[in-house]
Amino acid sequence: MNDIVIDIEQVSKRYALSHQHRPDSLKSWLRSMANRLARNDDQPKDEEFWALNDISLQIRQGECLALIGKNGSGKSTLLKILSRIIPPTRGQIRVRGRVASLLEVGTGFHPELTGRENVFLNGAMLGCPERLIRQRFDAIADFSGVERFLDTPVKHYSSGMYVRLAYAVAAHVNADILVIDEVLAVGDAEFQKKCMEHLQTHLRTGITVIMVSHNLHAIRTIASNIAWIQGGQLFESGTVGSDILQRFEQT
Amino acid sequence: MTPIDTTSAVIPHSWRTIDGHAPTLPAYCRELYQYREVAYVLIRRDLIVRFRQTYFGLAWLLFKPLMLMLAMSFAFGFLAGFEKNHAAPYPLIIFCGVIPWYFFSNAVPDSMNSLLGHIHIIQKTYFPRAILPIAAVAVDAIEFGVAWLLFALGCLWFGYLPGWQIALFPLFFAQLIALCVVIGLLLSVVNVQFRDIGNLIPFLLTIGFFVTPAGYTLTRIPQHWQTLYALNPLVGIIEGMRWSLLNGMDGFPLIAVASSLTITVVMGIIAVRHFLATDADLVDLA
Repeated sequence: MNDIVIDIEQVSKRYALSHQHRPDSLKSWLRSMANRLARNDDQPKDEEFWALNDISLQIRQGECLALIGKNGSGKSTLLKILSRIIPPTRGQIRVRGRVASLLEVGTGFHPELTGRENVFLNGAMLGCPERLIRQRFDAIADFSGVERFLDTPVKHYSSGMYVRLAYAVAAHVNADILVIDEVLAVGDAEFQKKCMEHLQTHLRTGITVIMVSHNLHAIRTIASNIAWIQGGQLFESGTVGSDILQRFEQT
Repeated sequence: MTPIDTTSAVIPHSWRTIDGHAPTLPAYCRELYQYREVAYVLIRRDLIVRFRQTYFGLAWLLFKPLMLMLAMSFAFGFLAGFEKNHAAPYPLIIFCGVIPWYFFSNAVPDSMNSLLGHIHIIQKTYFPRAILPIAAVAVDAIEFGVAWLLFALGCLWFGYLPGWQIALFPLFFAQLIALCVVIGLLLSVVNVQFRDIGNLIPFLLTIGFFVTPAGYTLTRIPQHWQTLYALNPLVGIIEGMRWSLLNGMDGFPLIAVASSLTITVVMGIIAVRHFLATDADLVDLA
């Protein structure tokens, strides 16, 4: 089908769980190299951990996909790969359109910069030209509800204020794909409602959303599809109308 | 209700592939260009922070190089007695050495620390990471560029007129900036992996000052040591700047310039290859 905008093909991500501390200084690195040269094989070998294992998923334009699964199941790792924060060990993701990511609290904010400066910095990082941000600055400030603190360095912001501003920027950069990792849980009920309404409006205009959430109510409200990730693998996927959510709730 | 932008999302038809492969240099450069506004924001912000809330404000841009030039002229020209038999006024000779050195010794640590200093941003959003070391050098380079205004004032003061050689000055200027970017690309990545380097480099720079012709000229070095001495890439750049701005003073430093260019290019190739290979893995390495 040609309305696919994200094509995740057999993506795997491996981490090495080292049982000795990592060589984070030249000294320990040299020592481990010396040990290796001396064939000193009594060191414990690094254990492999596959955070993601052979995940394949396709997401169509206008879809709102919610990733569900227990903590540590690999949902956030998948979003990080999709946002190009970390590379996949195997496989590839093909993306069509501009991606704006909101990963954890304070996506890409510089703590020393003011809220206003961060709006421009964040906008630039999301690939939005400065004049566009300038045009929409008032809308962003208004949406965030932190107008009064725009000239305060964001290190003094509360986590709620952080998220509101970050979401406001991401919402106004005309991204084609929004990647949202559990951020909505931080804002208060009023802001969450505002975000949900905003997402619903944008979904109707053809934007695509991938979100991670533990809030099943929110998922029922806006998601169109569900992907259940377990142990780094795609356990089940289907539409929001199927019984996946009920079964997930029972586990 | 908040006004919501409902511009419909137009899906571009080009696919972008995200995989574990290192990007090619042209693809990476295209991306750097696409994200250039990130650099503008960072550079502008650093400049504002540097000069906002300072009593002298922008006057610092000229005051700092003036003090450096006077102090070095005093130390090397007067105390060490190097101020003899020179075709150009000694403070101008000193200026051509001390100011490039000052830029280098600031730009290298600044760019080295740029990735580590922004690690919390790198962990949360994507942009080509080379922007950070490049922007760090750019901020210092702007200050460095403005400092040459003082050189022009010095020429007026001493009634000294540079010759045709000045036409080649921009090349040496560009090479110095390229050298700083190259070292910055290399060290910034290493710094994420091995934090030791953060202690080592300031120490090396302290030593570097004495093996760089900042407060004296290349002619002070005995002839048979000059080739070895020219392995310091700053020698060719600084002596080249002196040659271009001070009427071909002491003749064209051919060996030093050739050595400096070679070292810059070789380091450049290593740095770019290493950066392209590690860029995507930076967050996993940190």
